[in-house]
Amino acid sequence: MSLHINFCGTSFSTPVLVASGTFGYGHEVSNLVDVNKLGGIVTKSVTLNPREGNPPPRIFETPSGMLNSIGLANVGVEAFCSVKIPFLDKLNTNVIINIAGSTQDEYIKTLERIEANGGNHIGYEINISCPNVKEGGMAFGVHNHVTESLTKELRKRTNRLLILKLSPNVTNIQDIAQSAEQGGADAVSAINTVVGMSININTRKPNLHTNAGGLSGPAIHPIAVANVFKIYQVVKIPIIGIGGVSNANDIIELMLAGASLVQIGTSNFANSNLGVEVCKDLTQYCQQKNIGNISDIVGKVNTY
Amino acid sequence: MIFQELADVIKIQEIASNTFEATLLSPKISDHSHPGQFINILPSKDWKKVMRRPMSIASQGDDHIKIIFKVVGDGTMEMQQWNIGEKVDIIGPLGNKWNHYKNTFPVLVGGGVGIAPILNLHNTLNDEDIDHILLMGARTKSEHFIEHNSSNNVYLSTDDGSYGIEGYAVKALELIESQFHNKEHITFYSCGPDLMMQSVKSFAEKLKSPCYLALETIMACGIGICQGCTVELKESSNNKLHSYRSKFALVCKDGSIFNAEDLK
Repeated sequence: MSLHINFCGTSFSTPVLVASGTFGYGHEVSNLVDVNKLGGIVTKSVTLNPREGNPPPRIFETPSGMLNSIGLANVGVEAFCSVKIPFLDKLNTNVIINIAGSTQDEYIKTLERIEANGGNHIGYEINISCPNVKEGGMAFGVHNHVTESLTKELRKRTNRLLILKLSPNVTNIQDIAQSAEQGGADAVSAINTVVGMSININTRKPNLHTNAGGLSGPAIHPIAVANVFKIYQVVKIPIIGIGGVSNANDIIELMLAGASLVQIGTSNFANSNLGVEVCKDLTQYCQQKNIGNISDIVGKVNTY
Repeated sequence: MIFQELADVIKIQEIASNTFEATLLSPKISDHSHPGQFINILPSKDWKKVMRRPMSIASQGDDHIKIIFKVVGDGTMEMQQWNIGEKVDIIGPLGNKWNHYKNTFPVLVGGGVGIAPILNLHNTLNDEDIDHILLMGARTKSEHFIEHNSSNNVYLSTDDGSYGIEGYAVKALELIESQFHNKEHITFYSCGPDLMMQSVKSFAEKLKSPCYLALETIMACGIGICQGCTVELKESSNNKLHSYRSKFALVCKDGSIFNAEDLK
């Protein structure tokens, strides 16, 4: 019985990773969690320039979830290369660097800077839920042609894994997944947060400064399962399932729907050890169901 | 150093109306924490929500920490029902500590849920024999759990005049100003409702005295990862934060105590 996964030629000790923005750069939790026992970590989005992010309030708890509108606050790629990569390079787990931008050029320059710097990271996850300045602020990930063009340009510039992180806030996520595949992505990850809004009925003010934000947490898990299932029908490249994972069951569901790897996001805030703890339950599930390797269940949902 | 401990609930009691004090056996956090710091609590084992609840430490030492909380929502409702011997998942100590009080005359103003860090500082100042004033505000007498004792420089106020000085804390501050106006190096420390802290800040500005405020915000991680608990700083502020946080600082990591003059 094994939780070992071979994903695009890279070995993962477990299928459980931690999602971008929910684990920092690893060092913040290094004395609370044995980071090396995770299948991998996806770093907080890095952008070409430092970003101060959105004004407060930035987060709000909702039933089984939370809304956030952080605004990609981060140190920028220069500080990321000089300060964060040296720590990440010491980790004995797979590191995937998440990149965000507001123009195609920003994504390209950010990736080029990190490639020039070098590092032990195995790949990049591209956040295409960011507003695209040239497309009137619509997210990169809502347009097929933009997704494909961005993927192609980034593909030319790295041999490491290239993973496109898809938004559920689109008309047809299958089209976007196929665009990423055609552009040369090694994999897609899904889903990013779901657009949501909450209002204080006494003050009549929204609970986030940006009015609406991204909903995450267990509330969105069924949405993630449905989207992973849909994507699995139309692409050959593997999928990383993300969305509302708070226990081993949630991971198994996403894998049955078609995810080869899974990321834990918001639940890290309540329990940063969850990604390590769930492995016991995953192993138990495999033993009980007589599954030799957990990868055997990928896409094996018995649909009606 | 941050620790995650499963702390035993040693004691829990209602010390004032809707106000509870819990004593937790938490050797590592107790040993490493300083007045002004906080812990992030998982209110129950089957906590279904996505955020822990941050709570200031009211005292630390001898392997124990104490917290004081008012029941205001689901989390504090769960905490109120803790049983003796129950294990509680906590992370801490978090945030910065009260500072700059040596060689000053501290004036402490606490109110509402902001009483814990102010009491912690009050006890520290007593331990270090630093002469100071403590002023605690509440809406009514039943919310207070210490004695008004002006001869010991402990002043209580109530909005309805049912105990101590009548009126908001800042009005009480004006009334007792004569007790400290001739002191040198007056420094204000406050934690409580936003309006109260704003008033204390204005009062301190009037006297050209330094003022430190312990802020409370919604938090998710408590350790600087989610970047959710921000407070806006003045552009001219001389803070030493990383450039990307020089406008929006993190309450959990850069605070929770801020120099009032840095805050917008």
